[in-house]
Amino acid sequence: MTVKRLFIPLFTLLICVLTLWKWTYGFNAFTVFSHTLLESGQTPRNIEDIALINQDSSIFHLEDKDTYILMNFVYLNCPSVCHKINNRLENIYQELNENLIPNKLQLLTVSFDMLNDDISRIKRHRAYFGDNIKGWDFAIPYHLSSDKLNNYLTDMGIWAKSAPESSIINHSTYLFLISPEHKIIKVIDPAREDNESIVVNLKSWIASDESSL
Amino acid sequence: MARHQVMQLPAMIILGLIIGWTFPKLKIKDLSWGVTLLIICMASLIFWMIPRSIDMTIVYPSFNRVMHVNMLLFGWILVAVFRCIIFEVKIVFLLMVSGMLLSSGITLRVFKIVLCSSFTMEQQRENGFYLLIIGLTIFVVTIFLFFRQLSLLWKEGSKG
Repeated sequence: MTVKRLFIPLFTLLICVLTLWKWTYGFNAFTVFSHTLLESGQTPRNIEDIALINQDSSIFHLEDKDTYILMNFVYLNCPSVCHKINNRLENIYQELNENLIPNKLQLLTVSFDMLNDDISRIKRHRAYFGDNIKGWDFAIPYHLSSDKLNNYLTDMGIWAKSAPESSIINHSTYLFLISPEHKIIKVIDPAREDNESIVVNLKSWIASDESSL
Repeated sequence: MARHQVMQLPAMIILGLIIGWTFPKLKIKDLSWGVTLLIICMASLIFWMIPRSIDMTIVYPSFNRVMHVNMLLFGWILVAVFRCIIFEVKIVFLLMVSGMLLSSGITLRVFKIVLCSSFTMEQQRENGFYLLIIGLTIFVVTIFLFFRQLSLLWKEGSKG
């Protein structure tokens, strides 16, 4: 009798825990950012290739690049976080030695705001960081529909949705390290890692990836 | 965010409680089923406190409706269960709710990264503050109820 009385609550508890476990990706992803990233798959993973156009109006594909790429996504009307991330990327750029940038590693900042950001805006924005950033391109998707861009971002592991009743686009701020074989090999969360550890990790990941080839 | 988590969610629970009170015959007498329903209530409350769930309710209106109905049922079931369930279970349940609200409040208050994509850092911190207040209020009420019940039992014991 007691076992029977215990079974219903215990079974319900199990179902509830399993539901929460499933919803949070095994208690690993409590936010939409981490959930979208985990849902996109483990690294290393292949990514879809799209055409991009940079600040110099040059159209390119990531597949054409033969260096490692540190890629992030921004929108230029962002009131704070995108600029903070780009300022940190500037510091990271300066801290990485010249042997690495631009020969082995390049930085790529992609704007996903196709309504407001164009080549002239990204060119102007890039100019804020000075002339000495030849290994850092700013780009926007080239001839990509909004639906395809959304799919691309989701596949990458980026959550980007417009906040209700405002012009803010809330989005993930992850940095993606992409290998010359066009695979995401590492994802960096700049909200959790400081510049110093990002620089150290980048050097070690690139060295270990090269040695494994 | 505060409007969503601190007003909408409790408002639906309170509405459920009021609806429950208008059905005096609504009682869950069996302890096993009572505990089962409280587990479901607790799990659903936890579910709607997860930042991902909050974001989903903002982005998808249908998801928001599910939350509203769920919280309405939460209040309704709570009345039905609390009418007959033993005192110890009530106290444990209320302490768990206050503990969850306090921990959620502290998390939202101290985290320096945005947890819900639909809200700003300021809204997140403000929400954390309100959750702390609600959690503390429930905690104080629970402690009051606990000691009041203890004193009643003590008086009954000394009379007996």
